[in-house]
Amino acid sequence: MKHSKLWTGLSSIVAILLVVSILATQCMLDYASTINQALGISTSEVVNNSDSDEDLTYYESEYGELNAENLQLLIADTYEEAVAEEAEGAVLLKNEDNALPLTSDEMRVTLFGHAVAQPLYKNSSAGSRGYEGEYCIDLYTALTDAGFAINDTLYDAYVASDTARGTGGYDYFTGTSSEASLGEEDISFYTDELQASWADDYNDVAIVMFAREAGEGMELEQEGSYEGISSLALHQEEKDLLQMINDSGVFDKIIVLINSGNAMELNWLDEYNVDACLWIGLPGQRGFEAVADILTGETNPSGHLTDTYAVNSLSAPSVVNASYNNQTWTNLDEVLAAVEDADAGVSYYNVQAEGIYVGYKYYETRYEDTVLGQGGADATVGSSTGSGWNYTDEVQYPFGYGLSYTTFEQTLDSVVLDGEDITVTVTVANTGTVAGKSTVQVYAQTPYGDYEKENLVEKSAIQLLDFGKTDTLEPGESQTLEIVCERYLLASYDYTNAQGYILSTGDYYISIGDDAHDALNNVLAAKGATGMVAVDGSEAAGDASTNYTWTLDAVDTETYRYSSATGEEVTNQFDDCDINYWAEGTVTYLTRQDWEGTYPTEATQVTLDDAMIDALAGYNYEKADDAASVSDYTTGDNQGIPLAAMIGLDYDDPEWDTYLNQFTIEELCAIMADNFGTAEVTSVGKPAVVVGDGPDGVGGTFDATLYGDDRDDCCFPCQVILASTFNKELVYNRANLMAEECLYLGFELAWMPGSNVHRTPFGGRNFEYYSEDSTVGYICAAIEVEAMEAKGVHAGPKHFAGNDQEENRQGIAVFFNEQTFREGALRVFQKAVSESGCMAIMHGFNRLGFTWCSTSSALLTQVLENEWGFVGLSETDAVISATDSYLAHYVDAVVVGTDTFCLDFTSVSSSTLLAAITENDDGDLLGMVRKSAHDNLYAAANSNIMNGYSQDSTVVSITPWWQPTMYAIIAVCAVLEVLCLAMMLRKNLKKNPDKEA
Amino acid sequence: MSILKKKSFGWYVLLVSAIVAVVGLVQFSSWAPDHSATDTVITVALILGIAIDLVTVWKDLDILVVASTACYMVGCVRIVTDNVGSFVDAYQGIVMFGDSTQVGTIVSIAVVMGVAAVLSAVSGFLPREKA
Repeated sequence: MKHSKLWTGLSSIVAILLVVSILATQCMLDYASTINQALGISTSEVVNNSDSDEDLTYYESEYGELNAENLQLLIADTYEEAVAEEAEGAVLLKNEDNALPLTSDEMRVTLFGHAVAQPLYKNSSAGSRGYEGEYCIDLYTALTDAGFAINDTLYDAYVASDTARGTGGYDYFTGTSSEASLGEEDISFYTDELQASWADDYNDVAIVMFAREAGEGMELEQEGSYEGISSLALHQEEKDLLQMINDSGVFDKIIVLINSGNAMELNWLDEYNVDACLWIGLPGQRGFEAVADILTGETNPSGHLTDTYAVNSLSAPSVVNASYNNQTWTNLDEVLAAVEDADAGVSYYNVQAEGIYVGYKYYETRYEDTVLGQGGADATVGSSTGSGWNYTDEVQYPFGYGLSYTTFEQTLDSVVLDGEDITVTVTVANTGTVAGKSTVQVYAQTPYGDYEKENLVEKSAIQLLDFGKTDTLEPGESQTLEIVCERYLLASYDYTNAQGYILSTGDYYISIGDDAHDALNNVLAAKGATGMVAVDGSEAAGDASTNYTWTLDAVDTETYRYSSATGEEVTNQFDDCDINYWAEGTVTYLTRQDWEGTYPTEATQVTLDDAMIDALAGYNYEKADDAASVSDYTTGDNQGIPLAAMIGLDYDDPEWDTYLNQFTIEELCAIMADNFGTAEVTSVGKPAVVVGDGPDGVGGTFDATLYGDDRDDCCFPCQVILASTFNKELVYNRANLMAEECLYLGFELAWMPGSNVHRTPFGGRNFEYYSEDSTVGYICAAIEVEAMEAKGVHAGPKHFAGNDQEENRQGIAVFFNEQTFREGALRVFQKAVSESGCMAIMHGFNRLGFTWCSTSSALLTQVLENEWGFVGLSETDAVISATDSYLAHYVDAVVVGTDTFCLDFTSVSSSTLLAAITENDDGDLLGMVRKSAHDNLYAAANSNIMNGYSQDSTVVSITPWWQPTMYAIIAVCAVLEVLCLAMMLRKNLKKNPDKEA
Repeated sequence: MSILKKKSFGWYVLLVSAIVAVVGLVQFSSWAPDHSATDTVITVALILGIAIDLVTVWKDLDILVVASTACYMVGCVRIVTDNVGSFVDAYQGIVMFGDSTQVGTIVSIAVVMGVAAVLSAVSGFLPREKA
């Protein structure tokens, strides 16, 4: 036979297949929950053993039964909501000579900017993929549907171009990282032929769209590698494009659309004769419909900015210590050598030297001090011009700014202080010629006096207190809004003296205004100040009549001494997060007492001593000498009680102990590892759980076999757009609809809303956080959580807390003083937990001082549970089955209240905890694991996933189809291998009976 | 040298596969420690495969070729499955599960190990000693 080695070769080939199938199966089993979720497979089902006709639907869809017909109604409503959010959230920034809306004679347009062919619906992050595919409406389609005639010659050229935005991501095929580029065409792209396409036609309007793309783990650059300037500035290709449009001289109007979740620098609009500018954020899969409607006037814009649009983004005092200016320890080598599991996660830090002065709280406060001649506010430090600091040189559009196609007059009717409520009544009249909605913004100024200066209690000159929005008002129509604000928000945290919240002595002002700057001018008018300026630099007088003022005679350190939610004393918990605690004088926080002397001009440098290195290294848990024994707990005492029996029971009900006694230690530890869900535990009637993730879409695909439709859940506009609507009804509606989607998707919870702060304009995930102002988040997050929880879908705000940067986010040590943290990063989560019944929360990757959020007892035990009364599921951010980094500090995390470990595919947390308990006979740790399981299961028992379960139900495991398939492939390969080897041996023996194989 | 005189084309293919595997082992060993990707299984599999191929210098057994093929393939697949997170990041354009910047390196090392496995399998079809 010629092929004497045939069986040897075949044996080798089959061996390859066998190895591949075995290892692939092992890998798939590691990621089983992810695969199941992607395939829409549930690994458990309910079997009801009773004939009872008891209604087992604990949380109902308002659409009725979950079926194909009702899903279509839900989908239609989500799309309608998405359009409404964009319609009310897009902000008209400039509208020279009423350039917008366009008339029916201005419908032949040319679209400019590569982004028109590559719209940015959403930055990369978790959540819905609904923007991919046939149910997404792009700008071109939206405009065409609205009746515009578009210059296809140029549009098609953009589509055909190889140019694309670059986020710095890795290109698998070229093996290189892309440049962080804008994806804008070089001016040479616009050939004579292309320019001819708008010379005689399609030149009613030039619609230019510019995009800025950030994302999860991807900050925008402060000094970009691309052009060496801020990513948020106008770049050369964009300048050339605008100049070309101007030079053509054929366009009647130039309209600019800003397609970005980050606040761009827009000081160039006048220079390039832009007639109108509309910030559209990231519109999600349907929002461009609303953009078209705004351009045509079908919709009157009513959105207002939730961020300050600075002339120069680098002028924010936070920038020097943030993002790409994160620092490594000055003795990094020593630190890396000393820390057992050292990697990048112990290398970086930033210091919030800016204190509370983030966003408008900086620009407006410095403005007031400039007007009043206080604190050296007009010094050159922090000035973008090199001369004395001047407001109009620094701020293009202030927080709360937004134009309309009509005009409104707002009258402050009354302010009534009644206990904790401040009821502000405002009448709004439409004084213009078209119908529209008006946003009422209520601001406050609290005293900044001797006590505050002496004790370093900083005060923003103006702060948002609450807001409301009118219905659509016809011309001449009025509406009176009653906005109930919280007096609590007037309190300041005094971390040096009272070590708690105080109400300052002195004059308080409540004011309304078109934006933060307008409101401050009104306050200044009430104070009798002169020399104010409007946003555009013109002289402003302010309106004292839009103020209400009262005086507090003495500092009040008692009213907010104890938590209104739990009665726990609210006092300093984060002293060690102030780097000065460890090394006195390391940082000087920005204070309005001395702008010149305290404005941070360079990054704070930190050298770690041994004590700091120890704190950074972690691994703090040690079994106590008097620790309980494992045998002190009952385990594995199965009495046949299913989880369904726990539905509706109080957290402290003794029945929970009986239920938890049924778990073995292994089972308790097993549910610590989360993979966007946990597996079923049939012995105790716990069903499999899956969850969603994403502030602008929960991220799921509907089950076509159940509901006849396999499209993705709705990708709503980015969360900043939602906040910019200043419409609480829309905020509620979004979360309500997302909860409805979760009912169809079978999600116990969704990790949303995004609840961090826009500490700088460069934040990679600013698009999915509400604002630079924590009060916006405080209000909106509470509304969203309330809406979700009402449907039995837990809303898990993320990332708790201080996760305000994407660069170096894993393990970065964030230092701050406690006023900054409590009034900023913490506040966004507070009301959602303490008042809205939030039953899930996701931690940040970052450290608070040296301590990882998930191992911080101050954060998770004291503030979250003791002060705010949180009961529910407390989860880390993605640990990815870490074994050798700070993310692997599983025991330390559990003992402070962490319940589950996100994306622990291979259950490293479970095995680590199991070993720590059993090998050390550590009953204390077992007790904490039981508490974690209790938290987790309490949340599950009180969620929609229990629909259909009764005490008579049993949970039955379902083996996903792919598992037996993979086992079958392995078996086939194994059999073939044996056959081939047998044939090989037989051949060899036959050929040479004396020869070995 | 007399041993080598007996060897035919198939054995030289096997030799090349061993050399390629050595390259893969060196690549992996120099890359993995800096990227928290050390995996004893990969290292042992490659060393074992190379050692088995060396045995064929003196003892040409078909079963050894099959074994070395399997060993190289373990390295090839394992480095990919160990680093699924990096592929997920590269696909999704995020920085979370792994290190997307290392995808190219991971693939290149896997390819080298895969080539070793394929060459080893090919040698299995060929006579490795002169008749």
